[in-house]
Amino acid sequence: MIKFINVNKKFSDECIPLKNINLEISRGEVVVICGPSGAGKSTLIRVINKLETIDSGEIIVDGKHLSDPRTNLTALRAETGMVFQQLNLYPHKTALKNIMLAPMKVRKLSKREAEEKSMKLLEKVGLAHKYNSYPSQLSGGEQQRVAIARSLAMEPKIMLFDEPTSALDPELINEVLDVMISLAEEGMTMIVVTHEMAFAQRVASRVVFMDFGEILEIGKTPDIFVDPQHHRTKEFMSNILHTPVFCYNEPKNK
Amino acid sequence: MMVTGVKITLLLLLVTSITSLCLGTVIAIMRMSRTRALRFFGRLYVEIFRNIPGLFWLLFFYFVFPELLPYGLGDKLNAYDNYPIVAAIMGLTVDNASYVSDILRSGRLAIPDSQREVAISTGLNRVQQYLYVLLPQMFRAILPPLGTRMVHNFKNTSLCMAITVPELTWATQQIESLTFRGLEATAIATVFYIALSLSMVAVIILLEKYYKIDISSMTQAKGR
Repeated sequence: MIKFINVNKKFSDECIPLKNINLEISRGEVVVICGPSGAGKSTLIRVINKLETIDSGEIIVDGKHLSDPRTNLTALRAETGMVFQQLNLYPHKTALKNIMLAPMKVRKLSKREAEEKSMKLLEKVGLAHKYNSYPSQLSGGEQQRVAIARSLAMEPKIMLFDEPTSALDPELINEVLDVMISLAEEGMTMIVVTHEMAFAQRVASRVVFMDFGEILEIGKTPDIFVDPQHHRTKEFMSNILHTPVFCYNEPKNK
Repeated sequence: MMVTGVKITLLLLLVTSITSLCLGTVIAIMRMSRTRALRFFGRLYVEIFRNIPGLFWLLFFYFVFPELLPYGLGDKLNAYDNYPIVAAIMGLTVDNASYVSDILRSGRLAIPDSQREVAISTGLNRVQQYLYVLLPQMFRAILPPLGTRMVHNFKNTSLCMAITVPELTWATQQIESLTFRGLEATAIATVFYIALSLSMVAVIILLEKYYKIDISSMTQAKGR
């Protein structure tokens, strides 16, 4: 479904977020990416829908080469849902309108079709009663759930999550994770950057550990938690697993 | 004479507000374009029109512009009875648009980039990103300075008396020189200017209230 072949990216000599990345993710897999700040985790998923470009190598998404100029980038992006760390619903639109925008403008659904579809998705994330609320009237967790619904409205084949819970109050994390777990159980292909190891243990088929732009270890759950191979992975796992998971909030990495 | 003055002033206000807003938006989008040449011309426009007085542009469009046109067209313009008004609209528009575009650009900078990224990742194209996501937020963010600018533009309409546009200030001067009742005429004009400026301010305050977007939700979205 997604294939990275020798992908490299460099911002400067000190900052090399992606070093020779090779990774293949198949349909229906849930892959969790973890690692310390500045490890290149966010960049790894941002290059999949070309929010960032790569310097060399090739990325193939759903059989389409990203570097190929004939690839319809807008169409590809529409099929790749993305949820960010920052709470970024459109602040001037209600929850429902946030979800309706792209289906109407990109998929050319009629207003009624888009409305029906969006209401269904709001129900799915448990927020049907808040359809008329503006983002400022929603809690962080609710905003992220609407953001997930907004991505799902495009019927994506792949969902990318870039630390969707790290900007949230600890109490609100689980409601977002629950939505993600149910998505995973429905068979969605997902790549999730997160430090919620309980989430990883429950739904991830594989965990990728990154540091300094390199993939140091790819392990199946729960092996990577119980018996990490690389010394950096050991260090990292012992550090974060000793911290109660629900308190762990990583500083934003950029 | 006063009544015509009021009418012309209102006409200038309405038309130039709209035209300068449109032109300013176009220039602002040019300045944020990915194309280098567009960015350059946008910048050039702002620097030229913002750094030369508005009165100069009024005089330019009235006296010089027809001369620059191919022979015949300029003469036709000069012969056109309402050309002073047309020149006034052009002069005020290019002047005000340079400020409007810069204010809009500041509005764009106030919106976190993640808003654009979300729009991209849901498959919206460039035009749709601006139309449905960025511009609505930009206009909300810049309402206060934009309002001030529009009031300023309204006051600038009085400069048009220099190119024989029979607007309100011109009318007071005419009344003064014809009837020596300048004091009364000026008093009326003052009241009119203040009343209209204040009502513009009131409209802006109402708009701000109506379109208020919660700043806290936006700064939060900005990340740290």
